[in-house]
Amino acid sequence: MKPSPAMLALVTDAYRGRGGIAQYNRDFFEALAEAGLLSITVLPRQAPDSSGMPEPVEQLQARPGRIAYSVAALRTALFRIVDVVFCGHLFMAPLAALIARLKGAKLIIQAHGIEAWPRPSRIQRMATERADLVLCVSRYTRAAVLSWAAIAPDRVLVVPNTVREVFTPADGSAQRVALGVEGKRVLLTVGRMDSRERYKGHDRVIAAIPDLVAKGHDICYMVVGEGDDRARLEALVRNAGVSDRVRFLGDVGLQSLIEIYRAADLFVMPSTGEGFGVAFLEAMASGTPALGLATAGAKDALADGELGTSTSEAELSVAISRLLHQAKPDSFDLARAVRARFGREKFVAMADQVLNRLTERDSDNPNAVFGESLISHADRP
Amino acid sequence: MTSEDGRFVVVFNGEIYNYPQLRTELETDGARFRTTSDTEVLLHLYARHGAEMVHRLRGMFAFAIWDQAQHCLFLARDPYGIKPLYTANDGWTFRFASQVKALLAGGHLSRDPEPAGVVGFHLFGSVPEPFTLYRDIRSLPAGHTQFVNAAGPREPKSFSNLAELLAKGAANAVPVAEISERVRAAVLDSIRAHSLADVEVGIFLSAGVDSGALLGCMRDAGQRGVRAITLAFEEFRGTSEDEAPLAARVSDHYGAHHIVRRLSQQEFVQDLPAILDAMDQPSIDGVNTWFVSKAAKEAGLKVVISGLGGDELLGGYPSFADVPRWRRRFGALAVVPGLGLFARTLIGRVAPAFSHARPKALGLLEHSGTWAGAYLLRRGLFLPNELPKVMDPEIAREGMRRLRPLRSLGASLKPDPGSDLARVCVLESVHYMRNQLLRDADWAGMAHSLEIRVPLVDFTLLGKLASSIPAITKGAGKAALAAAPMMPLPNEVVTRAKSGFAVPTGAWINSVVGNASSSIGHKPESKGIVSRRWSQAVLNGGPLTKRPLEVHAS
Repeated sequence: MKPSPAMLALVTDAYRGRGGIAQYNRDFFEALAEAGLLSITVLPRQAPDSSGMPEPVEQLQARPGRIAYSVAALRTALFRIVDVVFCGHLFMAPLAALIARLKGAKLIIQAHGIEAWPRPSRIQRMATERADLVLCVSRYTRAAVLSWAAIAPDRVLVVPNTVREVFTPADGSAQRVALGVEGKRVLLTVGRMDSRERYKGHDRVIAAIPDLVAKGHDICYMVVGEGDDRARLEALVRNAGVSDRVRFLGDVGLQSLIEIYRAADLFVMPSTGEGFGVAFLEAMASGTPALGLATAGAKDALADGELGTSTSEAELSVAISRLLHQAKPDSFDLARAVRARFGREKFVAMADQVLNRLTERDSDNPNAVFGESLISHADRP
Repeated sequence: MTSEDGRFVVVFNGEIYNYPQLRTELETDGARFRTTSDTEVLLHLYARHGAEMVHRLRGMFAFAIWDQAQHCLFLARDPYGIKPLYTANDGWTFRFASQVKALLAGGHLSRDPEPAGVVGFHLFGSVPEPFTLYRDIRSLPAGHTQFVNAAGPREPKSFSNLAELLAKGAANAVPVAEISERVRAAVLDSIRAHSLADVEVGIFLSAGVDSGALLGCMRDAGQRGVRAITLAFEEFRGTSEDEAPLAARVSDHYGAHHIVRRLSQQEFVQDLPAILDAMDQPSIDGVNTWFVSKAAKEAGLKVVISGLGGDELLGGYPSFADVPRWRRRFGALAVVPGLGLFARTLIGRVAPAFSHARPKALGLLEHSGTWAGAYLLRRGLFLPNELPKVMDPEIAREGMRRLRPLRSLGASLKPDPGSDLARVCVLESVHYMRNQLLRDADWAGMAHSLEIRVPLVDFTLLGKLASSIPAITKGAGKAALAAAPMMPLPNEVVTRAKSGFAVPTGAWINSVVGNASSSIGHKPESKGIVSRRWSQAVLNGGPLTKRPLEVHAS
C-alpha cells in the first residue's frame, strides 16, 4: 500500500499567482494530489487569495516579508504533520532544509531556470546538497545544478513543465479576421518583457522582419505579454521601420490567448534563457508549430526537434522563412504528440514516480527481491 | 543475449569462473540452457534471484540486464572492480558503456570537466571512481548494483565490502603456523577457477614471486607447457637488472614454454601515441602492461593469467611498512592543529629548494595523523596544497570539495579491517589497484584483444585468506606464496625479488617529457618528479599528440 504523506510547500506564489513558476506549482500540487498525497499545505510569499484549489491543497495567508515568512513557515511546521518539505525556489532552500531537518522530513527542491543556473550562495548550495530529490524542469537546468552542487546525480531528476488541457487546436480563421490579419503570415511570441532579463528574443524576431518581407513573406508579428521592456521594444520596431508589421497586444485573457495561439502561423521565441519554455508547449498544443533556439531549456520543450524546430541565432531568419514556406503540419497530430509527451497524464505519472522515489525503501525496489513469478513457464521443467 | 521467453536481455563484459557449478545448480532447478556460454547463467540467475544474484558470482564482471516486462534495467560490477562500467544520465536518457570514450562517441554528452576527476587524477595519478574527467559520466563503483526505471536511476547500492570481509577475518584470526597451508589451498583454488577457458591460457611471467608462484600453481592444477611471456629491456641485456634469465629459470622449473619479448626505447617512443590513444581515462602507468600484452598478442594468446594483486593482498609494497610507521611516528604531532601547515610554510620559505625537490616530505606532519592521510601521502602524486599551482585554483578548490579524498579514503576503512596489514591492503586494493592497475590492465589488454585474468584479485580468495592476513608479518606473505606450489619457487627468486628490478621506462618517459634545462648541473630528479611531469603530458594528450583537454572553471 502506498503511504500518503503530508507536504509543506514553501513557494513564491501558486494559486492566483501569474507566470510560469506559479503555474508549475499549481500543476505539480494537483498532480501530487492525484498521485495520492494526503495533504499539501502551501505557504506563499505572494498572492493572498486561495480559491480554485483542489481538495487536499490548503493555501495559507501569504507573507511577503522575509522574516515574517520564515516565522510563519516554522510555526506551521511545528503544529502540523510534515513528511515532505517542498521548496519551490532556491532562495528558500536553507529555510526548507532547516524545517526538513527539524521534522525529520524528506526535502524536495525545485529548480526552474535562470535562478538555478549560476552558483548560488554557499548556504543555498549546502541546503540543495541535503535534498532528497532536486527536481529540474529541463536537462539544461539539471546540468547547471550538478555543476555547482556536490550531490549524487541520481537524486536530481528532470520533471518538465506540463501543458494545460485548455490549449487545444481549432480553426483560427475567425480570430484572424478579428485581428485583421487575414492573408498575412502571423508570427507570435508570448512572454514577459522584462528589462532586466531581456532573454526572450523579441529583438531577434524584430530584426528578422525586413529580411523576411524582402523574401516575400507578408509578415505580421504579434507580441503577447506585458513588461517594463515594452517601450524599448516599441522604439526598436519604429527604428526598424516595421511598425506596420508588429502588434503589441499586451496581456490578454486566457480565452484570447488560446485563440491567438490558434490564429498564428508560427510561434517564434528565440530565447536564450528559458528554464523550459512552457509557451512552446501551449502553442504546439494549440496546433501551431514552434521555433526556438537550441539553447538551454528550449531544447527540451521542442523535444530535440521531434515536436518543434530549433535553430541557431544566425539562422533564425532562414528558419522562419523555411517553416513559413512549408505546409503547416496537421494541427491535431501535433497537439496529440505534444500531449503524449508533456500532457497531464504524463505529468501525473511523473509526480507519482517522485512520490515513490521519496517513500521507496530497498524492499520496494522491484529488484531487491524477485518472486518465483519471474521465472518464465518455458523455464520450468 | 536474450532469455528464451524474450523477457530478459543481457549485455555482459567479463568472465564468471564458477559458471559450471552455477549451471549444474540451475539445471537441477529446472533451467534449460541453450548455449554453453557463461552469459546465459546471468539470465537464469536474475530470473530466479533478482539483484541478489550478484552474491553467487565469482569472477570479473560488468553487466546490464533489461527486463522487458517491468521496463527496468539492472547493472552490476564485480567486488574488486576488475571490469569497468560507466554511466551517464542527462535526466532524459540513461546511457552505459565499458569505456568513457564509447559514451563520448555517442555525441550527446557534454565534455564539461568534472573537477573531482581532474583533482583526483592529480592526487593519485589515475581518476578515482565514481568520478571520471567528465561531469556527465560516472563510474558505477566496484561491488555495486544499480537499478534504473522510468523514475530514473537509483543511487548505486553496495553489495560487497573488502573492509568488512577483512574485519570478519580479523575476528577469527588463525595461528601463524596455519598461514602457509591456507595460502596454498586458496591460491590453488583460485588458479583452478581462473584457468577455466575454451582457449589456451598463458601467463605474464616476471622474475618476481607473484607470477612465478601462479605458474607453479598452474602446473599443480594440471597444466603443462604453459606459454609464459616475459617483458625485458634491451638496455639491461646482460646486466644484473635483466629479469629475463631469472624468469627463464622459473619457467624451466615449472616446465613452461618461455617467450622473452625485448623492448627498446625506440619501440617505446614509437608506440607512445597509440598508448595514449588507447587509454580510456588518463593514467600515469600502464606502459609495461601495454607492451607485455602486445607480446602476448604476437604469441597468439587470447587469455593470460597475471600476478596483479599479489602486492596488495600479501603486503608487497613499501606502503605496508611506511603507512603504519608514519602514522605512529608523526601521528601524535599531526593532531596539533596547524602545526603541519606551519612547518610546511616555514620550510617552504627557509629552504625552497628542499620543498621543490621533496614536496611530499613536507606533508608528513600535515597528513600522517590518519590512515587516510598517511596513505594519501604515500601514494599521492601531488598533495592537496600543491594543486592550485598545477591547475586553475577554482577547479582545484571545487574538485577537493567534491572529491573529499580523505573522507573517501577513510570511508573505505569502515568497518575497521582490524590489523595494519589489512588496513593498507584495503587502501591499496580499493584505490590504487582499482583505479589504476586494474584500469590499466583493462585498456592495455583490450587494445590487444587480450583477456587478462587476475587470480590474486578474487573475492573468494580474499574471503579464504581474511583470517590469515592479520598474522602475516613483513615478508611472510610473499614467502607463503612462494611456497604455495608443490614445487616451491627457487630460493633465489624470493631473495632477488626483495631488492626488485629496475625498469627503464621511467628514464624513457623522462627523455620524452623531461625538462632539459633542469637536468643540466643538477642532481637527477626523483621518480616522483618525473611522474608529475608525465601526468601533465598524459592529461594534455601526451607530448606527441595534439588532443588537449580543456579545463576551465565552470
